[in-house]
Amino acid sequence: MKTSLKRELLDHGATVVGIADLRGYLSGEISHLDRAVSIGVDRKLNEDTLSLLMILQKRAVRFLKARGHRTLAIPPDSDRKKDTFISKLYSLFNHKMAATSAGLGWIGKNGLLISPRYGPRLSLVTVLTDARLRPDAPIERCLCGECMLCIEHCPSKAITGSEWSRSSPFVELVKLNTCRAHKATKRATDNKPNCGLCINICPYGRRNSDVKNAEYLVRNKIFIPA
Amino acid sequence: MVTEEKKTELLAKLRNAVIQYDEDTAKEAAQEALNVGMEANDAIFNGLVSGMVEVGKMFEAQEYFVPELLMCADALYAGLDILKPHVKQLDLGVKGSVVIGTVEGDVHDIGKNIVKMMFDVAGFTVYDLGRDVPLDKFVQEQLRTDSDLVCLSAMMTTTMTGMKKVIDDLRSRNPNVKIMIGGAPVSQDVADKYGADGYAKDATNALKDAINMIESLKKMKDEVEAKKAK
Repeated sequence: MKTSLKRELLDHGATVVGIADLRGYLSGEISHLDRAVSIGVDRKLNEDTLSLLMILQKRAVRFLKARGHRTLAIPPDSDRKKDTFISKLYSLFNHKMAATSAGLGWIGKNGLLISPRYGPRLSLVTVLTDARLRPDAPIERCLCGECMLCIEHCPSKAITGSEWSRSSPFVELVKLNTCRAHKATKRATDNKPNCGLCINICPYGRRNSDVKNAEYLVRNKIFIPA
Repeated sequence: MVTEEKKTELLAKLRNAVIQYDEDTAKEAAQEALNVGMEANDAIFNGLVSGMVEVGKMFEAQEYFVPELLMCADALYAGLDILKPHVKQLDLGVKGSVVIGTVEGDVHDIGKNIVKMMFDVAGFTVYDLGRDVPLDKFVQEQLRTDSDLVCLSAMMTTTMTGMKKVIDDLRSRNPNVKIMIGGAPVSQDVADKYGADGYAKDATNALKDAINMIESLKKMKDEVEAKKAK
C-alpha cells in the first residue's frame, strides 16, 4: 500500500513523499493517527505550489479513506483557514517534524527543512493516518556540516549557528524576533515582506553549476548526493 | 417532483458525508438536493443532522476521537452553508433569539461553538459573545437584544461559579428570560442550585450537548404551543 500511495502522489506532481512513524511525537488529541504521509513540492519547479499541495493532500486522503483508514489532513502553513473547528488542532502539529521523521531532510541552521536534493525549497503538507504504512528511516541530525553561508548572509544576524537533532528539537536555531523585526522593516520600506536570503544562499539543491559554489562545497566538505 | 428513491439516496449521501468527514461530498450532496427540489429542512435534519447524531454515538463508543468529531462538524457546516438560505421557516417552530458565550476566565469554546451551530441550524438568531466574556456583558446583551434565551458555558470549576452571578443578575432584570447552562463541570444539581432553566448534560462531549440542546428546544416548543392552546 505504501508503494502505491507514493507512486500515486509522485505521478501527480509531488517532488518527494515520505512516511513517518510519529508514535510518541504527537499530543494526545491526535495521537491515534500516528503515521504521517509527508509530501514535499519544490517551489522552483511549480508555479502554483499551494494549489498543487492541496490537490496532493486530497489525493492522499481519498486513497487512504477508500481503504478504510482515518485521515487528518493538515493544510500548508501558508493556507490555514481559521474559521473551521478542526483548525483549532492544527497548532498541535508541525510539518517539519513529520518531514524529518519521514527522512525527507533535516532542520538546517537556518531553521528550515533541508532536503539533500532540493535544499530549503520544499513546501510541505502532511496527512496523518491510522493506516499501518511502513515508515521510512528518519534523519536524526543536522547534515549542514561546516557550511556557514546562511549565517554569514543573514541581514539581521538572526541565525545562532546551533545545530538541530531529533533528540533535541527545541534548541534555538533562529532568533525569531530578530528575523521578524527585519522582515517588518523590509515590508515598511520596500513593500517586500519576505527576505529569504537564507533560502537562496543554501548550497543544497541549488541548480546552477556555479564554479564558486562548487568550490565552496568542496572546501567545506559538503556532500551533495547525485 | 423528486422521487422517493432519489430522496433516500441523497439523504444517505448527506448523512455519510458528515460521518466520513468529507466536506466536498457534503457540499455536492447539498447542492444536488437543492437542484432536485428537495426541502432544505428535510436535507438538514434527516441528512446532515442525522449523520451528526451517528457521529455522537461513535464518539461515545470511542470509535471517533476529537479530531474526527471536529472534522464531521466542519462537513456538516459545509453542507449547511449551502442549504441554510433555502430553509423555509424552521422546523422546530421556535422563533427566537439567543445570547451565547463562555463565561469570564474561560477560553474553551469548542463546545459552545457546536451548540451555537445547532441553534443556527434551528433557525435562531444567535448573538455569540465568544469566549472569556465579562459577566456583565451577558446581561447587557440580553437587555439590548431582548433575547428569549441566554446560554452560558464553562469548562472549569473555577469559572463555573461566575454563572451564578449572571443568572442572578438576569433574573433581577428580566424574570422571564430562559437560561441554559452547560460545560464539563456542570450538572443538573448545579443547574438547580444556580437557578438555571435548562442544563445541557455532559459537556466534555460537546456534541451530546448540542443534541440535548435540540431536545430542550423541542420541549420549549411544546411548552410554547401548550400555552397558545390555553
